[in-house]
Amino acid sequence: MIAVQEQDFDVQSLYDSLCVANKTGAVAMFVGRVRDFSDDPAQSSFILEHYPGMTEHNLEKIVAEANQRWTLLDVKVVHRIGKLSVDDQIVFVGVSSAHRAEAFAACDFIMDYLKSRAAFWKKEVTPEGEQWVEAKASDEASLDRWRID
Amino acid sequence: MANIKIVFFASLREAMKCDELELLLETPLTILQIKQRLAEELGQSILLEEKVKAAIDFDFARDDDLVDPAKVRELAFFPPVTGG
Repeated sequence: MIAVQEQDFDVQSLYDSLCVANKTGAVAMFVGRVRDFSDDPAQSSFILEHYPGMTEHNLEKIVAEANQRWTLLDVKVVHRIGKLSVDDQIVFVGVSSAHRAEAFAACDFIMDYLKSRAAFWKKEVTPEGEQWVEAKASDEASLDRWRID
Repeated sequence: MANIKIVFFASLREAMKCDELELLLETPLTILQIKQRLAEELGQSILLEEKVKAAIDFDFARDDDLVDPAKVRELAFFPPVTGG
């Protein structure tokens, strides 16, 4: 399941929905949150923009690639868009499998690819003004460890 | 010959003051050739900056990828992504 949405998500219900009766031995989950990025957290927010269609298409491709590489039972990705404030949840990636190694690796892989291949852009909004967040070279570099020559 | 929809996102959209436009393409051109044509026609040299990314029908594209007007519906140009 892939969802791009304005509304918040509930980690407990996503966890419950990842569990397949009698089969799930491991669930790995990652939640990304908005941390303080300014001198005035109460007055600061992010605007998250996406490219409708491309964002979902690329998330589907990333999840399909994870399913090719590891034996997984279920994968759920939720990414929020619109206005988000400090301490809000931004992104959820959850993976269930029979054993922990697959769940950990696939969750890590999906987050790494999401950071560099999913069409989202963050803009910081503070009392001083608005500023688009610059991409980090380290995000692109972190894909290297998943490449197969 | 066909009209191709071109969309812009995030800082690039704001810098260009344009969300989308239609481009009449008579023959296949590369992404780089389309960037050069748009940069000239719109007076937007920002499109030629190295960090500007492109997508053809939702898939990331490189500067030397060919855009065939008979097959492609939508092109996008945008800065590096910053989600997650």
